[in-house]
Amino acid sequence: MQLTWGPEDEAFRADLVDFLDTHTPEEVRGGFDFQGDVGDDHELVPQWMRDWQATLFDHQWMIPGYPPELGGRNCTPVQTLIYLETLASRRIPRSGHFPGYAIVAPSLLEFGNENQRAMAPSAIRGDTIWCIGMSEPNAGSDLAGLQTRAEVFDDHFVVNGQKVWTSYATIAQKCFCYVRTDPSLAKHKGISLLILDMDTPGIDIRPLRHLNGMAGFAEVFFTDVVVPRDSLVGALNGGWGITQGSLAHERAGLWVESVGRLEQTVAGLVELAQKFGRVDDPIIRRKIAQFHELASSLRAMGYKGFASFAQGSSAPEHSYMKMATSEAGKAAYELGMEIVGPIAPVTDPAYADVGRWSHGFFMSFANTIAGGSSEIQRNIIAQRVLGLPRS
Amino acid sequence: MDFSLTDDQQLLRDTAAKLLQRECPPAIVRAHIDDPAVYEPLWRHLREYTALGAGPATDLCLFLEQTGYAAAPGPFLATALYTSLAGGDGDTTGTVAFLDDPMNPFVLEADRVERIAVIGPGPTVGVVDTDQVRDRLRFVGTIDFSRRAFQFDAVDLDPHLRPIDPEAFAAWRDRAHVSIAAEMTGTARRIFDMALAYAKERHQFDRPIGSFQAIQHKLAEMSLALQRATAAVQYAAMTCDAAAGDRGLACHSAKAAAGEAARRILKDGAQIHGGIGYTWEHDLHLYLRRATADEDMLGTTSWHLDRIAGLLFDVA
Repeated sequence: MQLTWGPEDEAFRADLVDFLDTHTPEEVRGGFDFQGDVGDDHELVPQWMRDWQATLFDHQWMIPGYPPELGGRNCTPVQTLIYLETLASRRIPRSGHFPGYAIVAPSLLEFGNENQRAMAPSAIRGDTIWCIGMSEPNAGSDLAGLQTRAEVFDDHFVVNGQKVWTSYATIAQKCFCYVRTDPSLAKHKGISLLILDMDTPGIDIRPLRHLNGMAGFAEVFFTDVVVPRDSLVGALNGGWGITQGSLAHERAGLWVESVGRLEQTVAGLVELAQKFGRVDDPIIRRKIAQFHELASSLRAMGYKGFASFAQGSSAPEHSYMKMATSEAGKAAYELGMEIVGPIAPVTDPAYADVGRWSHGFFMSFANTIAGGSSEIQRNIIAQRVLGLPRS
Repeated sequence: MDFSLTDDQQLLRDTAAKLLQRECPPAIVRAHIDDPAVYEPLWRHLREYTALGAGPATDLCLFLEQTGYAAAPGPFLATALYTSLAGGDGDTTGTVAFLDDPMNPFVLEADRVERIAVIGPGPTVGVVDTDQVRDRLRFVGTIDFSRRAFQFDAVDLDPHLRPIDPEAFAAWRDRAHVSIAAEMTGTARRIFDMALAYAKERHQFDRPIGSFQAIQHKLAEMSLALQRATAAVQYAAMTCDAAAGDRGLACHSAKAAAGEAARRILKDGAQIHGGIGYTWEHDLHLYLRRATADEDMLGTTSWHLDRIAGLLFDVA
């Protein structure tokens, strides 16, 4: 056991800091908090964010654990941790659209054929924007219950159905789309993964506004969409295994960012209490202290589990971090509103900083739902970590 | 940053676990209710490990997690606290007494040790022979049968208090906090293990109660609290050994996290056991008692949270 990093890892950090100091544009500093401009779909991923992702890729800092042709420098898992921590502590984002680099590329590299693996670099660089066709009106937590059909022909598929909550669908060029190819099989077994071009005839995209008024996700309808046979990823009816892999990739490094965000929210609470003269309020003090304890213990837990997290495979332990950080984030924003007091709901621009807390509170609702709700995470912990029988 | 245990540390943990499983089964903890002398055979084994009190906090905490898991009676923790304050190699048994400190009103295991380190204002520390102050000690019954607490009447006693370097004393306090937190996470883990096993074996409505989501989600949250506390303790122990800048925050956080985990787990653990867990015959209460009482030892959860707030707000 030791608290410090080795000299090679510190040299890695120094290189990173040097790069960030010289290359980070103004908009990107603190860009972690960018959530899209209200009501403007075109600014869902602004140009400065796209440029930044390409810069990271070109300097081998996009996914540092990957080889240079994939935007990395073959660094070790520990160095990836240092990388993610450093970015989180500077509130520097990597990308404005996570599906491509975080889910699609790793899945293509693991399950795709040669042509499909060749799509990974542009997904990681952000040149191609991807959306993920998973959730449906009747397949949310019960993802394996998805009903979008793909009829199988010799040289093509015909897709009919509907996806929902599809993030970035309004600007994506491609969709990583899970479809039912054999309704006669048990529900986990009849699912396949297809790559769809979003401009294929028969795809209808209808934007959905988030409850906070911002653009973000969409409903996507498929009517007799013809998809070439070679767009199948992995085996026919082998899609479920890829979802398990994709979601694991999504979560592998996520805890560092989530804990980093939580720690910054806690630091924000300390400043807020000072600003609003609540520093001597014993209840506020104790509640903030509790968040500090929560965030620091989650960070320690992340470090402790890091060896298994770094494997990248579907470690059910990720469920702890996902559930804990998302629930804590929501509660922390709630405390922020309590500290602000009666003007907490005000969004008038004259009260600039005040709105952050009520706004963040609403935003935080997404985190305990998307990517597997807290209830699903508890099921996973109970059944896959603790070995309790399925209900 | 490396949380993995060295081979020696794994050996220490496994040895401690086996030793305590063999020498401190629930029957010993139960027998200790009426006959405090039953701790003696166990203590003859634990005495061989008291040098840990003079060594790294990380090793000590690995051992304490196991004494906590077993709810081991005897002055192991007390001697570890004494040794790191008064010095020595752990060969002399001891405990610590806080003078006029409402957060630490009692002296642990005072009738079973050779020395008492007395902590006075300043901070100051003096050491007295237990034999010289035996008539000043009064046993105080608590809900926890596995420990023995004493009132210590120090009126007109001269314990030869001498100033201690405030930084050294702060380091000792932090180490004390993470030490009790390590024992608490062990006891909490014992209760958690019992509740999890019971949820798997107890059937109602023709299936294990652990298949019900209400029980599963309770256990998931208990497990999260336990994992958090365990990691917080390990991190805090590492900050003690490295004299890291965040040692104070880390050790207060460890005790608070352990307190919250223990309270959640003991309440929900009892709930999951249902009626059988409410009986005297079932062993659950032996551990519930220890976990409940430990929250009030070396600072309550709220006290530690208030110290964290002090460090967050009042330093800058």
